[in-house]
Amino acid sequence: MRTYRDRSTILFQLLVYTVMIFTLAATLIPLVSMTALSLSSPKAIVNNEVFLWPKNITFEAYRQIFTYPNFFRAYGNTFLYTFGGTAISLVVMIFFAFPLSKSALKGTKFVLKLVIFSMFFSGGLIPNYLLIANLGLTNTRWAMLLPFAINQFNLILLINFFKSIPIDLEEAAIIDGVSYVGILTRIVLPLSGAALATVGLYTAVFFWNDWFNGLIYLKSSQFPVMLFLRNIVTGTSMVGDAAGAGDKSTIAISIKSAVIVTSTLPIILLYPFLQRYFVKGVMIGAVKG
Amino acid sequence: MKKTEKAKAYFFRYWQLYVMLIIPFLYFLLFKYVPLFGNVLAFRRYRPGMGPFGTDWVGMQYFKRFWGDPAFWRAFRNTLVLSLLNLVINFPIPIFFAILLNEVHILPFKKVVQTVSYMPRFISTVVVIAILGELLSPSTGIVNILRMNLLGQKAIYFINEAKYFRWIYIFVDTWQYTGWTAIIYLAAITAIPADLYEAATIDGASRTQQVFYVTIPSIMPTIMVMLILNVGRLLSLGFEKVLLMYTPDNSMVSDIIDTLVYRTGLANQNYSYATAIGLFSGIIGVILVSSSNFLSRKVTGEGVY
Repeated sequence: MRTYRDRSTILFQLLVYTVMIFTLAATLIPLVSMTALSLSSPKAIVNNEVFLWPKNITFEAYRQIFTYPNFFRAYGNTFLYTFGGTAISLVVMIFFAFPLSKSALKGTKFVLKLVIFSMFFSGGLIPNYLLIANLGLTNTRWAMLLPFAINQFNLILLINFFKSIPIDLEEAAIIDGVSYVGILTRIVLPLSGAALATVGLYTAVFFWNDWFNGLIYLKSSQFPVMLFLRNIVTGTSMVGDAAGAGDKSTIAISIKSAVIVTSTLPIILLYPFLQRYFVKGVMIGAVKG
Repeated sequence: MKKTEKAKAYFFRYWQLYVMLIIPFLYFLLFKYVPLFGNVLAFRRYRPGMGPFGTDWVGMQYFKRFWGDPAFWRAFRNTLVLSLLNLVINFPIPIFFAILLNEVHILPFKKVVQTVSYMPRFISTVVVIAILGELLSPSTGIVNILRMNLLGQKAIYFINEAKYFRWIYIFVDTWQYTGWTAIIYLAAITAIPADLYEAATIDGASRTQQVFYVTIPSIMPTIMVMLILNVGRLLSLGFEKVLLMYTPDNSMVSDIIDTLVYRTGLANQNYSYATAIGLFSGIIGVILVSSSNFLSRKVTGEGVY
């Protein structure tokens, strides 16, 4: 027990809790404020009456964005990229990481060196772009699903996890005549739930949040929701044909906020359940192999 | 004879793993190493429809061109200034935050603060910048409303003014990454043996003194490694964030190397020229990383990589 109390200790505790409450407020206020704006009437917004609590609550902005076909399409695209991209990525990375986790396998050291080197030196923006273009992937949804399947950081995380599975299990299975495919599917994968969840979630968040690759590779009907939002913010695209009605700028604000809320909501809702995996990931990554 | 048998046994045991490896390995080579070798485009002239890696060698022509281009030097300076400023401000903040968070003894509250503080890391940059745009809006943003009503000042169009760009960028980084980066320091603090604190308590050290004489010295190695890592990453700013915050009015400070490459390469389709600029900054990046890693080996006895 630390019972020692002096004035500096009390002051210090005061500082600690002030900083913590400030952090909570600074993190949450912007998000709460967006929600409030999305639920408020345009009139209240233009009179600057909305801060953290919605005024004259209305779901008009949400009702409107859900009538826009381009918003729905963008949202659907994002779901497709997130689920499809994550699935492809997990399959490729499992089959890549499993052989690489076997140190006895000749050649793995060399491949690992190639992997690590590519983390520090890569083709820049232009060579990547030209590759995708020459593979004929631009303006197809494959441009989002295929090129980002391998993330070296996640790969190393998986390799390290597979390495931590006791080798005795493998030896016993070999003696029983189980093939390596059997070892992977029946022993390793069932034990790797936490690692796969971590890697899968990082990948899913990447796809959910991506907009830049959509911008350079896709045409507008294939845009993900984040790119849709960015185009609303920059004014490159109109939210919908109804944007002209009433006060244009304030309608835009509640609608913009509604798009912000709806596009972030899945992450925020899932976040409390997922965060322990994320933290696990950063810890495994920090230890490094 | 024995050797071939051994090889046979090896092959018999492991062939499936090699089969498994083939497709992901080719996939990896295609999407990581083809673009890497695609960097030769920096030394070759690109002609549309004649292959991705250019048509004929032109030597250092594109490098000479950007070397004499003031736009490149402006982007180079902007990149350095922004990264250094960001490092100086945002490197210490997560350390302080972790130390203070560790002093919270009401566990549920600590858990809530932790959970909330990691969250911004998972919010899309587009959303963060969109929220920022609304909060800082000159007509309806809270910041300007408060300034006008409480301080009687005129509204400022923060996002569009060059002199605020760097501070806004850094502030957004603080908001988004403080909690997340603090995880590593927090883990280091948790690993400090409890008897160090007990001994300090017996010696009559207050909590404040314990922070200065136990906590900070104990996590110094972690701080050093993180510092070295950050110096290695000096040239890689948040390109997407800068691109989203870029306006013609703030371009004199917001145009960094990555946005210059994007504009000259993809918007103006000067592929070779942009590749040359990208390659140059990539090489500097590798030099920074490997020299800081070398330094880490010297100072802390082990490299990060």
